Amino acid sequence: MSAHDDDHHHPAPVSPVEARARALEELLVEKGILRRDVVDAIVHAYENDIGPMNAAKVVARAWTDPAYRARLLADGTAAIAELGFGGAEGEHLRVVENTPAVHNVVVCTLCSCYPWPVLGLPPAWYKSAPYRARMVREPRVVLREMGCDVPDAVEIRVWDSSAEQRYFVLPERPAGTDGLDEDALARLVTRDAMIGTQRP
Amino acid sequence: MTGAAALPRRNGELAFDAPWQGRAFGVALATVRTLGLPWAAFQERLMAAIAAHPDAPYWDSWVAALERLVVERGLASREEIATAADAVRP
Repeated sequence: MSAHDDDHHHPAPVSPVEARARALEELLVEKGILRRDVVDAIVHAYENDIGPMNAAKVVARAWTDPAYRARLLADGTAAIAELGFGGAEGEHLRVVENTPAVHNVVVCTLCSCYPWPVLGLPPAWYKSAPYRARMVREPRVVLREMGCDVPDAVEIRVWDSSAEQRYFVLPERPAGTDGLDEDALARLVTRDAMIGTQRP
Repeated sequence: MTGAAALPRRNGELAFDAPWQGRAFGVALATVRTLGLPWAAFQERLMAAIAAHPDAPYWDSWVAALERLVVERGLASREEIATAADAVRP
């Protein structure tokens, strides 16, 4: 064995919460309540296939197709389904549009509700106590701290997600993008812009 | 899928910071589905766990909610869970 092998024989200690998490999986599998491969498939899907590139396609479609845009704003769940997106936490989806006069931002004050099928899983900061508490109280300040300067003349609307309703933001289409196709437009759309913590 | 637009992690962030978090996520989803429950059945327990311990790390609240769901639904007892956890972390 080479000297480097020693580094691989000292795994990080398992925290109590990790031990309980793994114990829960082991117990439920042992008892025949869950199948390991079902859990594997869920994890794989959310690590690979489900993410903000989905919503970026929706945004690009809305930017190029006014009728789709209208349908998206009227019924988010139905409109994303037109592009093949849906499933867990995709129900009761409302898309809110940014305009020159209005900037929208999304939060879940009580936990982490988020439109999984089109944005994937929320980033750690979205789930943090400071974001959840402060975004509803002082959105302009928090956004500025996050690097998103919203001009004073622009109204900020904060949307509090819940089990009953989830949101994402339809950002304004950037200037100078008239010649781009949907794929190119989708690449311009960031996850943070669709939460509302970034302006393109 | 290929290209920058294809990556779920195009903002440079992983879906989970550690594998056990991904497993806890998958177990929660699989459990509510197996029980035929709406996601709200887990999510309301998550809200309660966060409210009970607002400064706890998110995934600690998640696992607490999952444990509560499992115990309240009679899938396993707290003693069984504690014993199994000791086996994971001697």
